[in-house]
Amino acid sequence: MAKKIIINAKKLERVYFNGTIKTYALKDISLNIKEGEFVAIMGPSGSGKSTLLHQLGLLDIPTKGEILIDNEDVVNLSDDKRTKFRLKKLGYVFQSYNLIPELTALENVYITPMAQGITTEEYKEKAEDILKKVGLGDRINHYPSELSGGQQQRVSIARALVNKPKILFADEPTANLDSDSSRETVKLFRQLNKEIGQTIVMVTHELEEGKKADRIIWVKDGILDNNKKLK
Amino acid sequence: MDKKDLKVIAFLAYKNIAKSKSTFLVIIAVMAMSFLSITFFAAIIDGLGYEFEEGMIEGLTGHLMIEPTKDNLYLENTDLLVKNIRRIPGVVGVSKRLESSVIVTYKNTELGVPVFFITPPDELKVSSFHNNIIQGSYLSEKDGKELIIGADIIESYAKEDDTQKRLNVNVGDTVKLSFSNGYTEDYKIKGIFKTGSKFSDDKILINYDEYNKIFDKGDVASKILIKLPERGNEDYYKQKIIDLGVSDQINPWQTKMGAVKQFVGSLQITNQITGFIGLLTAFATIYIIIFINVTNKRKQIGILKAIGIKKQIILGSYVLQSFIYGVVGVIIGNIVMQILLMLLTLYPLSMPIGDVVPMLTTTRLITTSVVLIFASVIAGFFPSKKAADDNILDAIFGG
Repeated sequence: MAKKIIINAKKLERVYFNGTIKTYALKDISLNIKEGEFVAIMGPSGSGKSTLLHQLGLLDIPTKGEILIDNEDVVNLSDDKRTKFRLKKLGYVFQSYNLIPELTALENVYITPMAQGITTEEYKEKAEDILKKVGLGDRINHYPSELSGGQQQRVSIARALVNKPKILFADEPTANLDSDSSRETVKLFRQLNKEIGQTIVMVTHELEEGKKADRIIWVKDGILDNNKKLK
Repeated sequence: MDKKDLKVIAFLAYKNIAKSKSTFLVIIAVMAMSFLSITFFAAIIDGLGYEFEEGMIEGLTGHLMIEPTKDNLYLENTDLLVKNIRRIPGVVGVSKRLESSVIVTYKNTELGVPVFFITPPDELKVSSFHNNIIQGSYLSEKDGKELIIGADIIESYAKEDDTQKRLNVNVGDTVKLSFSNGYTEDYKIKGIFKTGSKFSDDKILINYDEYNKIFDKGDVASKILIKLPERGNEDYYKQKIIDLGVSDQINPWQTKMGAVKQFVGSLQITNQITGFIGLLTAFATIYIIIFINVTNKRKQIGILKAIGIKKQIILGSYVLQSFIYGVVGVIIGNIVMQILLMLLTLYPLSMPIGDVVPMLTTTRLITTSVVLIFASVIAGFFPSKKAADDNILDAIFGG
């Protein structure tokens, strides 16, 4: 059976205005990502790959175009509905981990299920389970400052996955990690994708990491670079 | 906003405070100091005003004062009236007085001095002269040609730079008193009193019986002073006295404050101005500190929004934190203030008008507490609202 399209972007455009000067960060981008796909977005620095991820991940609003996620038009959602959508259907892994320093690993992970209103026992159990899955079962009560970069990124992945999101967005998740941790992180993504069918959209500038994905979407100067096809 | 949102608000606020103890301590220290700086000075001024009023009540007016109507010079049949008022339940003391003035002559010095003819045992319950005898002793009912004299008209108690004319007398000395009807008599100084109130300490007190020996007016008085258990019930007791059939003027102490009222009023206006400036300063200080604190958390606010935490929850958690800063700061400020008040009640501030005990009124306590807590909440609200309204990417990556 053909896999369902989970992300459908049409003619996306993101323009930044500086007075009368218009700068196109993205222009005329249309793409589809299927459910269960592991997609890498690649391109040179300043090509617009992170901007594209931010539009698809509802962290920013495109100037023009349409985005359907799970058949829902997400561009025209109100601010509150976008927040709710992010909470329930999307997960994020950032380049610099972006954990909340005042919360332990466990708390960083259970803050979003807590916000969904499930019982204390349930969200703690869910957070513990996912932390164990990413190999941090013994570090759950540690604060981010007490964890290595690789461990922090795994907490960040656990936080992104705890609500079983439809799509996991990762913005250069290995940029701040050493090569071992980078390999581990991408391996974990691959494993999650294969084992639970997690849809993953990852921005990276490392070709080796991109090759681990099912498909690479190349971006250059804010437009899709369809000539460059590695996979 | 529902129960689950409130849970997240409380959780985030608690974690932020618990993990940033030094920030928490600095902010509540500033809050507590602000509370103290506003209330302490105000309490001293209030204490000063209260002391002035007490000086008048204890020396000149009592809580209620019966005076003759405009057309009469004296109150008449006063013995019966005093007895009847004394029977009113709750009345602490009643004493009649005759006020006059004399020329006091000692050696080559002559001085015009107001004189009160009093009933010494009755005055014990109404005024505080007996408690403020600094030399010699208080008058007794049997004392005839003896008097007690206020320290302000005695040279040895004058301040160095005070050149006002005074009598160079001491306890045991005899002074000559010349009354308005031409009667002249020698009186021995039995005691010197110093109440600390300038309205009392310039008087001479003589036994009431002497008045009739000098003027032969019968059972009359210039005033009847009534002491009540406390301030605030004057109207109730006034009505009780009216019910006795008294047609003379019955005036509560407030109506007799005159210059004191103006002085205390001026103090209170000064107090309100300094209090207002103090509140503004505290507001600005608290606002800046909390503003910096919240601004430093801009990135975290962006992250929380990105992962799907509602803006209202983020805002609520920072407002709750600010509210906690305010409440804890005010509570600590209150505790320190109460300790200071306790110490200053035991060891009052010595001021020229007498010992002053700072007074913190409930109204001032509540107003200051509420305003500081409000300032704290407002200071938390605006920067966190701004950060929560920010574009997520600007908040996380700066911009």
